[in-house]
Parts: sequence; structure tokens; C-alpha cells
Amino acid sequence: MLLSRVAESLYWINRYLERAENISRFVEVSEAMSLDCPPGSAEPWLPLIDASSDRETFDSRFPEKKQDDVINFLIRDRINPNSIISCIQLARENARQIRDVMTSEMWEQINILYWNLQEGGSIWDLPRQEQLSEIRRGCQLFYGITDATLSKDIACQFSILGRLIERADKTSRILDVKYYLLLPSLDELGGVLDELQWIALLRSAGAYQMFRKAEQNSIQPNSVARFLLLDNNFPRSVRYCLDGISNTLKMIDTSPSSDNPSKLECMRGLLKAKWSYIRIEDIINDGLHEAIDSLQIDLNKLHNLIEDKYFINKEFDQ
Amino acid sequence: MFSNYRPKNNFDEYFKDNLNSAREILTPLLSSLNNMGLDELNRNHSAAKKLLLRHGATFRLNDTGLKGTERILPFDPLPRIISKNDWITLEEGLKQRLEAIDLFLDDIYNSQNIINDGIIPRELIESSDGWRPQMLGFKPPLNRWCQISGLDLIRDGKGTWHVLEDNLRCPSGVAYFLENRLVMKNIFPNLFSGRIVKPIDEYPSFLLKTLQELAVWTDTPKIVLLTPGIFNSAYFEHSYLAQEMGIQLVQGHDLVCNDNYVYLKTTSGLKRVDVIYRRVDDDFLDPLNFRKDSYLGVSGLLDVMRAGHAAVANVPGTGIADDKMIYSFVPKMIKYFLDEEPIIKNVETYICYYEKDREYVLKNLPKLVVKSVSEAGGYGMLIGPQSTTSEINEFSDKIKNNPRNFIAQPTLELSTVPSLCDGELYPCHVDLRPYILRGKDSWVSPGGLTRVALKKGSLVVNSSQGGGCKDTWVVGN
Repeated sequence: MLLSRVAESLYWINRYLERAENISRFVEVSEAMSLDCPPGSAEPWLPLIDASSDRETFDSRFPEKKQDDVINFLIRDRINPNSIISCIQLARENARQIRDVMTSEMWEQINILYWNLQEGGSIWDLPRQEQLSEIRRGCQLFYGITDATLSKDIACQFSILGRLIERADKTSRILDVKYYLLLPSLDELGGVLDELQWIALLRSAGAYQMFRKAEQNSIQPNSVARFLLLDNNFPRSVRYCLDGISNTLKMIDTSPSSDNPSKLECMRGLLKAKWSYIRIEDIINDGLHEAIDSLQIDLNKLHNLIEDKYFINKEFDQ
Repeated sequence: MFSNYRPKNNFDEYFKDNLNSAREILTPLLSSLNNMGLDELNRNHSAAKKLLLRHGATFRLNDTGLKGTERILPFDPLPRIISKNDWITLEEGLKQRLEAIDLFLDDIYNSQNIINDGIIPRELIESSDGWRPQMLGFKPPLNRWCQISGLDLIRDGKGTWHVLEDNLRCPSGVAYFLENRLVMKNIFPNLFSGRIVKPIDEYPSFLLKTLQELAVWTDTPKIVLLTPGIFNSAYFEHSYLAQEMGIQLVQGHDLVCNDNYVYLKTTSGLKRVDVIYRRVDDDFLDPLNFRKDSYLGVSGLLDVMRAGHAAVANVPGTGIADDKMIYSFVPKMIKYFLDEEPIIKNVETYICYYEKDREYVLKNLPKLVVKSVSEAGGYGMLIGPQSTTSEINEFSDKIKNNPRNFIAQPTLELSTVPSLCDGELYPCHVDLRPYILRGKDSWVSPGGLTRVALKKGSLVVNSSQGGGCKDTWVVGN
């Protein structure tokens, strides 16, 4: 038995931390990559902002679009609700509200991560690459502590649910914003593939080494897309996450009705089926961007249905 | 380590009158402290602060929002020591006082004999901010009103213990009391050497047992802790206690009353609740029966209590007995209900409501401490000897305009304990808040939260006014 409010907090803590982790990896990789690019140009940075759909806000606040603006916007900007610092703060605010449900080891990890990011916190003394990997490790440590200390009950299921939904969303967005930029343009058909950039894309999704293990051939756009979207074993691929989401939702719903499934149950089954029985060639032919777009719409719908069923208790609202 | 320490002229709990006359009970501690030295003490003091921050033992000052400053309660590493003999007497005295107060509450909300027999004027009761006429005729489970209380004790210039205040609504601080011991054990294990300090870890177990006993209708009660939420300054404590007891921490909107039962809204529907340890004030507990504009409480909760389908600790209405004026009647209550003499004395109190007392107070303001009976947390008070003439005149007018609202007490030289101020040892004033739990049995926490005025010369120990805290040890002689 879990309070609706607590389920919602657990879900969001994990979404926020997963988001912070993804942004930190993304910035970390992009910054390392930018050293190989002509100095001063912000263009390769803007996809980072696109990936969190914050382009409009960013453009209006930082018309000069400098590289430092991008990095600051993504890491330390308190006004941007999707910056790392905002995500960690929101995760901790949620954690503070449910300290009775978390183990104290989980709480301490999220709490210390928060304090290290405040003004004068220990993280800011480090070089930026170290800051980012420190943040990433801080989030990962939280997952590890959760796994090792929290009972595998419904509270744990809601944590996993939040994490996987966010992860599926982020992996697909990273692919979406980079894929077309990196494809050789039509007029230089057969042009040389910028392998470095494709490696960077894989690294941004934390997928490079596992991709290499899975695909021994040279890097091809199709194989990268297949790996990030449809790999059965890679824990950050869209298909893997949707599998996990589906299993977790089944565990949470103790009394499903197969004769008249709920809307949430329908969405769960549909998403799982859609991404289990599809080939990368067909996705690319029908349009990768369209496929990812519809995935994101579906994930939003799924989120709304979870919210309706579990977070808002409609039976007796005061 | 103590070479620069100068006890004041009052009662110092470490030294009798100079550095060569340490109290006997302090011997093992002073020798451990001297082995440690001031540098190491200061170093470990910062480690202790970091530990408290990591644990999240923080509070937010009132009126600060999401971005408001969150800080730890300043922690002082030098423990305060109370002898077991002293403690046995205090424990008795606290139990006696709470027994009388519970009988008083039952009486005042039911037969009102103490009024009818002329011991306390009706007007004083009914004009109190803590008076809740909604509770008239109410009979709580086990006939207990104050399940959890935290009384403030002080030692005067001669070292005699007094009760300064009765906190009977939602006394806070117990998490710091427990957390301080944890920090001492983690960071300063050496200071414990050579003696056994009475353990305090059972508090959450006794609290849980006390709450369980209130559900006289079931053997498997569902218990929750009701908090106003993360913006409350004591939120850390609410989450800490819920976690230690393994009960759910809930907010008003997690609960709903229906057909005279109270339920939790969960991911698998509504679940019945038997006992609520509420940390929400009376006024905000039930918008249907108390303040209509409250969004922190649960509509209809009082009706569920009246129907006997849920217990709430403490029972609404207990605030009448910790009104700072009603406080002065507690010795009379002890006499009236128990026919005993109070084991722990009150501080001498002048009631401005009575003309004779008021005249005395108005003439002697520079010598007295004046308190507003309706305010807590060290707000709304005048410390005569530390005030300017205009402040005194201002208070004089306030008293004349609303005498019911003020009491006065002599300025007490609170006892002092050496404490770290800016890296040096300095005699700082302290009080003590022991916690008393009353279910079927009574239990008193060994020691309690020692609050310390860490600003040099300050007499105010409240956390909202720059006070801190220390660990308190009850030890054998």
C-alpha cells in the first residue's frame, strides 16, 4: 500500500535524477567533442537544448547563443526547470516529502548531491568535465543504493517506472536531434561519414562501448539507430526501456481486467507491441523523426494515464 | 583546555566556583576533554556539522519558501551532565505534573469541578487562546489527553530545578535530542570513556507503543504521522520520527473522512486509519470544526474522534493547560487532583490579570521577564535587565491594555555549561526539554534536549532566536 502522493514523488525523483544524469553525460561528451571543432561556434551545442525542447526559452533569454550560455543554461541555471541544478533540487524536494519511505542511505545520497551543487559546494571547485562526471556518478550511486537498500515492493516499482520513462524519452531525443545533422547531405551523396561525430552521439547516450560489442562492423547510421531504438539487451535502448515499463506496470496493477482493460493497460500493451515488432529499415523508410515523435507523444499519454490512475485519487477528492 | 574558561557568578554545571573545583561527576569527561585539546574539539565540531547536514537535520526559518535558507540547528559538542539521583527526582516530578495536567484537562472539558470549586476562575479558562469549546464533553481513549509532551526545565542560580513552561500541544525537538546522541557517538566516541550514559534510543519504540495503545478497538492499528509539509520548520523531525517508527508520513490532503471514519488515499484505494500523531496545530487540524481556512487538516476529523473511530495525539484542546498563565495554577492542580505537593517547583509568576500582581510588575519591569501568554518561540517577551527605557515603557502600555495576555517572572540566572563560541569555551545558558510519553504507562526520556544560548550573554535558547543544542547525559554517580 502506497500513498498516491508518495508514488508520485518516487516517480518524479527518479525522472529528475535520470534527466540530470542524461544532461550531464550529454554536456560532458559534447564539450570534449567541441575541442575538435572550430572555436567559438555555438552551433554544435544547440542540439543539446533542442533535446530538452527548451529552444524557445533559451533563444529569448540568450540571443547571442554563446557556448558558455548553453552550458550554463543546462547546468547551473536555476530559472531553467530542466537544468541539472533544477532537476537535483526538485528531486531533493520530492525526496524530503517522502523521507519516511526512502531508506536513510538513499536520502543521504540525494541530500549530499544537492548540497554539493549549492553555492560554494564541493563540485564547483573541480574542472568542468569532472563536475559533470561527479554529478553523473552521484545520480548513478542513488540508483545503486535504491537497488541495494529499498525493498522490492510497489515503492520500488514506481521508482523504476519513472526512471525508465525518462530514459526512453532521453535516448530517443538524443538520437532525434543528432541523426539528421550527422547524415551526409544529399548533394555530397556518398560523402565521408564523420565517424567521430557518430561516436560522440553514441557516447552521449552512454552507448558507445556496448554498441561496439554488439556491432563489429564500421559505424553506420542505420546500425546506430537500430542499437539506440531496438536493441534487446542494451539498458538504455528504447525497446529495452519499454519492456521494463510494461513489466513494471503489470507488477503494479494487481487486478487487471483482460475483458475490459483500462486505458492505461491498453496503452502499455500497444507501446510494447509496437516497439517489439518493428524493423529498423521500416522505421527509417517511414521517417525516423516521425517514429520518434510518435513515441514521445505515446510516452506523454502513458504518463498522463499513470497520473490519472495512481497519483490522483479520484475516489474521494476533497 | 579550560585554562581560559571563566565561569560566571551563577550556577555553572561543570565547575563549582573556579576551575580547581570541577564537580565530581564531571571528572571522567574533563579528563577525556583535556586529552583531546581545543584544536581537535574544534576540528571534530566541523565534522559534526557536516554529518548533521548530510543527515538532513535542518530546519527552515518561518516565512521562507522553496529557496529559503535551510540550516542545521547549531550543535555544541560539550555534553551536559545530569546525575542519576537528580534524574530520578525529576522523572517523578514530571510524571506527577503530567498526571495532574491530564486530570485537569479531563475535568475542564467535562465536569469543570476545578472551576466550580473556585480554584481557577472560569474567565481565565475561557479567555485562553488554548481553550477549545468544541472539545466539551469529549472523552479520549484511555482518558489521556497529552500523549506526548515536552516540558521546559531550568536550574536557577542555586542549581535548583524549576518548570519554566509546559509544552502540551506539539512539542518539537525530539529528533535533535536523538540525533545529537548519534553525532556524539559518531564523532566523539572518546568522550564516553569511563562511564555508562543512559541510552535514549528507545524513544521511537515507546512513542509507537503509546500511539498503538490509543487504538483500543483493534490489535493491528494503522498509525500515521500528520505533518503540515516540508515548509514547516520541524519537518525534519516529522520525517525522522515516521521513518524511525516505520509509519507513514502524511499530509492533510492524503486523508479523507467519510461516514465517521478517516481514510488514507493510496494507489490501491482508500485505507482506514486508526491513530494520527498530528504535528498540525489545533486550529488547522479540521477546517470543518476549527479554522475554516485551513488547508493543512482533514475535514470532519473531530467528528471521527467523537464517534470513537480514530484517536488523535495530542488531543485538541490541550493548549489550555500550557497557556503561560494557566501554568501558574499547575501546583494548585497537583494539590487539587492528587493531594500532593509538586516535586518540581514552578518559577515564581506574577499574573498581570490580578491587580495586585500587575501593580508590582509595572513598578518592577526593569527587574522582570515579561511574557505574552499566547506566544511561543521566544517571541513577544521583554527581558527587563536587557531592555531600554523606551522598550520598557512600550511593554508597560501593552500590559495595561491587555493584562490577561501577560505574566511576569523574576529574571533568572539560568545555569551555564561550557560551550564553543567562536572556537573558544564560554559559559552559555541552558535549559532542558525532557519528553514524556503517556499511553497505558508513562515514560520519560532520560535527559532531554538541552537548548543552549550560543550568543555570548544571551538568555534566549529558542532555535528561532539563535539558540543551539547539546547532548544531555544522565550518568551514575
